[in-house]
Amino acid sequence: MSNVMNSIAVSITLSGRIDSNNAAETEKGILAQLEGHKNAAVILDASALEYISSAGLRVILRVKKSYPDLTIKGVSPEVYEILDMTGFTEMMTVEKAYRVVSVEGCEEIGRGANGTIYRIDQDNVVKVYNNADALEDIQHEREVAKLALILGIPTAISYDVVRVGESYGSVFELLNAKAFSNILAKEPEKMDWCVQEYVELLKKIHSTLVPAGKLPDMKETALSWAAFMQDYLPEEASRKLLALVQAVPHDDHMIHGDYHTKNVMLQNDEVLLIDMDTLAVGHPVFELASMYNSFVGYSEVYHDTILGFQGFDYETGRAFWRKSLSAYLGTSNEKKIQEVADKARVIGYTRMIRRSIRRKGLETAEGRAEIEYWKSELLALLEHVDTLLFSRNEIEVEADIQNLPEVQAFVETHLENVECPPKAQMQIGLAVEEIFVNIANYAYTPGRGNAIIRVEVSEEPVAVTITFLDHGIPYDPLAKTDPDVSLSAQERDIGGLGIFLAKKTMDDISYEYKNGQNILTLKKQL
Amino acid sequence: MNIERVVNGTALTVAVSGRLDTVTAPELETSLGDSLKGITDLTFDFAELEYISSAGLRVLLSTQKIMNSQGSMKIIHANEAIKDIFEVTGFVDIMTIE
Repeated sequence: MSNVMNSIAVSITLSGRIDSNNAAETEKGILAQLEGHKNAAVILDASALEYISSAGLRVILRVKKSYPDLTIKGVSPEVYEILDMTGFTEMMTVEKAYRVVSVEGCEEIGRGANGTIYRIDQDNVVKVYNNADALEDIQHEREVAKLALILGIPTAISYDVVRVGESYGSVFELLNAKAFSNILAKEPEKMDWCVQEYVELLKKIHSTLVPAGKLPDMKETALSWAAFMQDYLPEEASRKLLALVQAVPHDDHMIHGDYHTKNVMLQNDEVLLIDMDTLAVGHPVFELASMYNSFVGYSEVYHDTILGFQGFDYETGRAFWRKSLSAYLGTSNEKKIQEVADKARVIGYTRMIRRSIRRKGLETAEGRAEIEYWKSELLALLEHVDTLLFSRNEIEVEADIQNLPEVQAFVETHLENVECPPKAQMQIGLAVEEIFVNIANYAYTPGRGNAIIRVEVSEEPVAVTITFLDHGIPYDPLAKTDPDVSLSAQERDIGGLGIFLAKKTMDDISYEYKNGQNILTLKKQL
Repeated sequence: MNIERVVNGTALTVAVSGRLDTVTAPELETSLGDSLKGITDLTFDFAELEYISSAGLRVLLSTQKIMNSQGSMKIIHANEAIKDIFEVTGFVDIMTIE
């Protein structure tokens, strides 16, 4: 058979200058080293190469002709420029030499599952990967960060890969940025502001649809955690855990996977997401689980754990978790918040127990105490949690009149939880219809686009707030003059009643254009 | 939404049930289109109508304009929430609502 592959790779070092003086000699040398290795993959190590002229380039071309699988690596910036200008970077694999960076004495500004982030100078940070053989991880993170950016998530993308001691690092531009964990630790009075920004970004992530196959499915990961627990839980509990995860429907919306306050940065006035390597798709319950662990779970037995991790204390962590969950769900109802927290804790404990066992947690008294505590909590939860699903307070639909019934049904389910008199229900329905139809008819004409509808119900006083967001052309429907309702039927204009009705029947209705979005908010006290 | 029409000579009763909104209002408008010819007494029976939005109000207003030139129109059995909408929009002053 002629298609048998020879998997031998031959590495050849190029050094100094290659020009017309020594090109022939260099070629001879290369071919001599390749003799007897037909079909070999050729790696030209250019770490010591200072200059290459067109005569040298012709040598490489001839070698490539006989050995098509050819890579040039360790290329200096000067040589890379030549290879790039002559189109060689498109003809073959050319890998740049890695710059060497030291993080000695640099401030640690973030820490994620796979690496630690240091500030190397005023404008730049480097993420040093824990895994010494991290080039693939770096490539992966770069790709998912690019994907996230294209899908509208504010993030930083690395522009260079460097060597940091024995590890690799990726360099990002991050000016005057500080992690939310720093803000919470140093300026506790900004807690509510942090919660608001943190949750706004979280919602944005969770409303982002990811093209199929681009990111791993978090449900698969969670299933493997649940399967791991089979050896550590009573049979019935273990079966229930697996069934709970299995019942979570597939979801193509993005989740970050490690969404804690060291991974959310404030850069000037912009909130940025970093540490993208855990990006996945899935139901938000999986995200909430990892958030619970970061702010509460990991520190539930030894409260000081969080101090070393986030830089603020356990009470701050707990408060931040509760407030964020309340804001995320759009409710201040404690019972509802606890219900959802319990669902998240099921996955959270499962993950922590597995992680600790795999890190030999059972071999120390401290580890065993922690695992025992998490396990007893998990078993108690499995007694009463019957589904991991919960309803979010917002939906995203295509801005099309055909979706009006779906929008109305969504708003109505949220009103069911509160006492809403029929008259108010009708008025709210009217206002919702008017605003949604306006978006459907005008926001994206003649194209298409989506609208997000968010419902928040507050208690004392019982009030409902409904927010509409779209990325269409800026348009303030409230600016229209009200129709004169005292005119006779014949004199009256047929249109314009809807917005007028919404203004009359809602307690407050406001419009703003912010961050490229039309934001219309309705408020009604019940 | 469901529409039932009963014709009695030049009198027409249109009973509308369910939701009269942006999605369903065009259907009512089409259904009324031809059937108003020669009608002098039009009655909308809203006993089973749960919801009306501005799109529904537009159909009522344009129908009222037609009926002003050929006879009379009235609305019966509207529920409190719907009556309230007629109040806010001034429809109570330009239509007969019983």
